[in-house]
Amino acid sequence: MHLIQRMKIWKELRRLEQRAREQPAPTTFVDLGQVYINLDEHDKAHRVAEDGLALFPKSPELRQLLECARRGLRHKRAAELRAKAVRSPDPAVYRELAQVLVELGDSAALHQTCQEWGVRFPDDAGCWLVLGQARLVNFYRDLAAREGQEAVRCLERAVQMAPEDVQARRMLGEVLYRIGAVRVAQQHLTHLVAFDATDAEVDALLRHVASLADHGDDVEALLDEVESQGSLRHASFTATPRTAGDEGMARVRDGLAHVADLPGVQKATFIRGSKALVKGAIRDGKDPFLRVARVVAKAAHRFARRLDIGTANKSVVEGPFGHICVCVYGEALAAAQCTDAADLSKVMAELQEIVAGALHVVEG
Amino acid sequence: MSKIHDAVGDLRRLPGVKGVAVVTSDGLVAATSLEEGLSADVVAGLSSYLMMTTNKSLAEGGLGGCARLSLHATHGKAILVDLTDSYLVVMFDQFADPMSAHKEIDEAAQRIRRASRLS
Repeated sequence: MHLIQRMKIWKELRRLEQRAREQPAPTTFVDLGQVYINLDEHDKAHRVAEDGLALFPKSPELRQLLECARRGLRHKRAAELRAKAVRSPDPAVYRELAQVLVELGDSAALHQTCQEWGVRFPDDAGCWLVLGQARLVNFYRDLAAREGQEAVRCLERAVQMAPEDVQARRMLGEVLYRIGAVRVAQQHLTHLVAFDATDAEVDALLRHVASLADHGDDVEALLDEVESQGSLRHASFTATPRTAGDEGMARVRDGLAHVADLPGVQKATFIRGSKALVKGAIRDGKDPFLRVARVVAKAAHRFARRLDIGTANKSVVEGPFGHICVCVYGEALAAAQCTDAADLSKVMAELQEIVAGALHVVEG
Repeated sequence: MSKIHDAVGDLRRLPGVKGVAVVTSDGLVAATSLEEGLSADVVAGLSSYLMMTTNKSLAEGGLGGCARLSLHATHGKAILVDLTDSYLVVMFDQFADPMSAHKEIDEAAQRIRRASRLS
């Protein structure tokens, strides 16, 4: 690029960065992100989109920008991995590359990669598993018999090559019972129990499958029927650990009530994703405290990350409104607004307990 | 100006303090004393971003302004104090107890405010 052109772009970037800081608006962030994308600096565009979404979480343009930046980053990562696979082929590199291609939805490149992977490492079942996964996604989306047949073929090959591969066997078992081949599915799922007899989820799945009607072992015919009828024989069994989750949320609710009862605490909230639990004097979802908690958490995270001091876990904002204490671990955020009478270290400790407990539920 | 530098230097001598800066609300550096590896421009830009973002969300909610913001991260801590049109930023290492330095930080903030008014 010409030096003068570079200087012009640099000047424009400075102007937009300043505007985004002084008069933040979704369009400003989008313009800035677009310049970075044009410069092939998708990481910076990603950062701009995240910053914009922290302030304007509902902006569809900013979501598009984020998606576009992510795609750019994935393309870049795919190119890097492809070069690495050529330089020093390794199953782990192929696995990561295939995963990136699945995320990009690039079927042609995925097939080519898996083919190469299979030729170079004929004993590695990974390529068949990834191909089966990709075909299965297409089958569940379109209910096309051909995709289903390919998915079953690839997964059977993966299971044959690596009989102890739990993931391949489980996916194969699931697709088989859903199209009506319950007896064959049970055989695969029984193997899963043999690998890990303590897995309650597999046990529940097996019991669910045992209660379904079998429609024979002819997988091809069953897939054709699914395609002609436009629906799967049996509904999916989502073995969500409902009881554990409910107990976890009950603990969060109790913890929040406990925080709200501490002297000086006016409002308390627990936020994960777009959902929030609240206690205390909160009018509705538009209460400014909720927004401040989110914005401070996000800004503090960026501040700490870019200053290279790790992840921001705790922040306290003081002002004429009192104190807003924010505690964050991963996706879980707990916050409280309190008066000067509150014991901040106690409030912080309680908030920390809430997010740590919520994190345990997610991981469990 | 030397009074501001003195206040910054005094804070820098506190145990666990990695750096002290006075930055304007638009991200310019007025005075600094930072350990090697900490860039004054980066600290100023990020502090300005953090305080402006926080103040904007508080103002939109009708809650007023932020007088002080304390932050604990896995490998460090920071305290940012509003000085009207500028901020005092104090960076600590992860083992420091910023609560114990509150008195000194408040005094330094007071000195800087006074010096700014005089100049």
